Amino acid sequence: MMACIVITIGNLIQNVLPGWHSGIIAGVLLFIVIDRLYTYRQLKSLTPFSSEWAIALGTQWVLILLLIRFLLSYADGLDSFIRDLSLFTRGYLAELFTSEFVITLLLALLVWILPAQFLELLDEIGLDQELALREESPPIQGDAVPAHQRLVNLIFSLGIFLVILTVLTRLNVRNILSNVTGLPTVEVSRFSGAEAGALLYFVFGLTLLSLSRLMSLQTHWNRLRIPVSSNNLVKQWGIYSLFFLLILAVIVSLLPAGDSLGLFSVLRTMFSFLFGVLFFIGQLFLFLIALLFSLPMVFLLRGDSTPIGRLPTIPPLPPPPVESSAATSGNEAWMLIRSILLWGSLLVILVFAFIQFVRQHGGLRTALRRMRVTNWLILAWQRLYKNADKARGNLSRAILDGWQNLLSRLEEKRILPAAGLINLRSLDPRRRIYFFYLAMIRRGGEQGLTRKPSQTPSEYAVQLEKALPSASEDIDSITEAFVEARYSRKEMDSGKAELVKAAWGRIRRVLQGKSKNA
Amino acid sequence: MLGLFLPLLVVLLLIAAFLRGDFALTLIYLVVGALAAGMWWCRRALAQVEAKRRFPTHAFLGEQVRIHLYVQNKGWLPVPWLELRETLPVALAGPHSFQTVTNLGPRAEAQFEYFVQARKRGYYPIGPLSISTGDILGLSDSLLVQNQAEALVVYPKIIPFTSMEIPSHSPQGTLRHSLPLFEDPTRVFGKRGYTSGDSLRRIDWKSSASSGRLQVKLFEPSIALETCVILNLNTEDYYYRSRIDSTELAIVIAASISNWIIDKKQVVGMLVNGHDPLTADGKPQTIPPRKGKHHLMRLLETLARVEMIDNSAFGPLIQQQRYQLAWGTTLIVITGSVGDELLHELYQARRWGQNAILILAGRDAADEAIRRRAKIFDTPVFSIATEADLKLWMQGSKRV
Repeated sequence: MMACIVITIGNLIQNVLPGWHSGIIAGVLLFIVIDRLYTYRQLKSLTPFSSEWAIALGTQWVLILLLIRFLLSYADGLDSFIRDLSLFTRGYLAELFTSEFVITLLLALLVWILPAQFLELLDEIGLDQELALREESPPIQGDAVPAHQRLVNLIFSLGIFLVILTVLTRLNVRNILSNVTGLPTVEVSRFSGAEAGALLYFVFGLTLLSLSRLMSLQTHWNRLRIPVSSNNLVKQWGIYSLFFLLILAVIVSLLPAGDSLGLFSVLRTMFSFLFGVLFFIGQLFLFLIALLFSLPMVFLLRGDSTPIGRLPTIPPLPPPPVESSAATSGNEAWMLIRSILLWGSLLVILVFAFIQFVRQHGGLRTALRRMRVTNWLILAWQRLYKNADKARGNLSRAILDGWQNLLSRLEEKRILPAAGLINLRSLDPRRRIYFFYLAMIRRGGEQGLTRKPSQTPSEYAVQLEKALPSASEDIDSITEAFVEARYSRKEMDSGKAELVKAAWGRIRRVLQGKSKNA
Repeated sequence: MLGLFLPLLVVLLLIAAFLRGDFALTLIYLVVGALAAGMWWCRRALAQVEAKRRFPTHAFLGEQVRIHLYVQNKGWLPVPWLELRETLPVALAGPHSFQTVTNLGPRAEAQFEYFVQARKRGYYPIGPLSISTGDILGLSDSLLVQNQAEALVVYPKIIPFTSMEIPSHSPQGTLRHSLPLFEDPTRVFGKRGYTSGDSLRRIDWKSSASSGRLQVKLFEPSIALETCVILNLNTEDYYYRSRIDSTELAIVIAASISNWIIDKKQVVGMLVNGHDPLTADGKPQTIPPRKGKHHLMRLLETLARVEMIDNSAFGPLIQQQRYQLAWGTTLIVITGSVGDELLHELYQARRWGQNAILILAGRDAADEAIRRRAKIFDTPVFSIATEADLKLWMQGSKRV
């Protein structure tokens, strides 16, 4: 029924506003209906206005919003998509809220509410049997309108809405609008898909009424503790409903209703409409999958001219607001911050929304896990993750070294933190070697053996050996260890660090002896 | 129930009229057809459903009555759902009446069975059976028909008597009697030697010839006990605190006495001043004295049905009816209390040759006074406060 409404809306948009993407809009609306039907129970179980409820609802709507915007942008081509993306990153959000987008959002809100209305009524009608049999179950309100009647009203009111939409679809609105002089000429087209949609809506509506009638009766019997003695009541009900609708269809088709109707023509049109709807849904999913796969490829191959041809250039942006030349540098920084904030927030929202979406669709995740393709993808991902982990280790090491290098240059070649903050035990062997070597330089400086900035470790070692001939071997070993630690990627173990420490101890004693003699 | 049906129809009609919309016409046919066909189906199917009950129409107290309910669809249209709700008296079924849901195919029938407990004497309607159904789409309200109720008579309690002391002045009956005044020549029980003054009719010639001495027959005395049970169910004549129990006890006494008399192959009639729901004027019919089990059933049926009545004087009733009773008839008057008017009426009956006995049912505070007054009018009085007293009385030891 909802598909009929959605397709009719799509047809109307196509008829009235041919420039709009009616197919995309209908597809998105259909997707929202399916998603709403799927997540209704989960949302209902949450306490209204609680944090979980707000997160679930917000997630759903963030995704809906992004999906609509994304598909509407992409429907105009890649250049349009990139342009919209650029608008977003530069903060021109108002430009993204086109009339098409706003109307689609409103329609999305409508089709988001309607399935819930149906499901709520069906929930009320088909009260859980255990609940109905429970003694403390709430009494039936005498003055309240029964749920089944409310369902009848809902189906009929939507039917009125759909009939009006169908009529609007049938009218040649463009001609009416163009004919500004005199009374508009109404052109009524022949029996088409829109009518079949309305007809199908009512057929499905009657079927739903039949089901809900059975449910309401069962609830009523349970409440009054009336046992059902017939074992095949439900089965027979289904058969009788089917026959009733079939006979009704035959009678309706035999009655005179113009020149275009007949049983077989109606059936053919209705079935073709039904298949059309199913085909459309299939197409929609295929489109989404193709889109998901095609987008990365498009971005990757953006620089090449083949195989997708020359990519369109980004269209000129709308003129920015007038700014003073003095504030240019400040604006650039602000633009950068704003861009980072926008992209960051978009990324966070997207990731969060996606995680929540996956959580909401737990059944979908289980079903996906059962699929072979998914398993293969998971294996591939795990392998990739392992390799990536290794690569990440190497990369982090390189970054660390580079960072140290950078720091040493920026902070006068300091390769260790300030002395007062050093905790020797917390340092790794490499850094401990650094520490003892730097201690030797510092103490040497105190004894008048200052290291010149231009001296290499070996040159400084020669200077020290001249002054401290008794510790020449230790000076050689500590210098050699430092050079190895500082300029090679060789692993430094704690044993080596201990040897350096011992050497430094001996050098320190020699230095202390020299100062006492002095 | 139709809700927005009419607005939808109006919209469709407007579209069909102004836009020559064949599709709107099709929708009109569909919607109106669904409603009309549903209603027609529902009405037609319900008209073709027939329900019947089968059960014993009479039951004794304490019996479990099995009721068979047959529901048949006599037409070719199936009935998708049928809700059956039997209206049963609380005294028989308690709070749970029979109700069920079923469906009937073309020419199909369903059979149900349920039980009621005959807990209290009375005339009970079984039914009416409410049969409801509706259209399959729920566009119209459910339809309801009620099947006619049938009656179940629960007889009053009967306490079987082994013996009972009811005086009678009617000789030549079938009941043995202690008074030789009522010797029955058909009931020979022995012989003795002739003595002077013996009637010649009593001589047994055969035995006299064989023995050589005159022998006379000895006859067993007997009475004919034509009885009329007169039951007073006037509310004011029973003590208000135990009114219901006392009237029920009075009915049990009447039923038990009638049963005993019929069992003794005597005739018994009945006169009641209560309310009979089965008669047009609400007055129970006077049942003339008759014999036999069928007659007993008639008496018991009346006793099962009758209920208490207000402002129904008992004395004039006896006065009207006693002239139609034969000479020597025993009038067993069962009442809660007795006034001078009634005692006077019983005295007149006694003078007229009828034998009146007064049975006081229930605990009346004025018992002693009644007995004293009855003694003046020479009317025997039996006081039965409970069923236990009745059992003692049947052994003949309760005469006051």
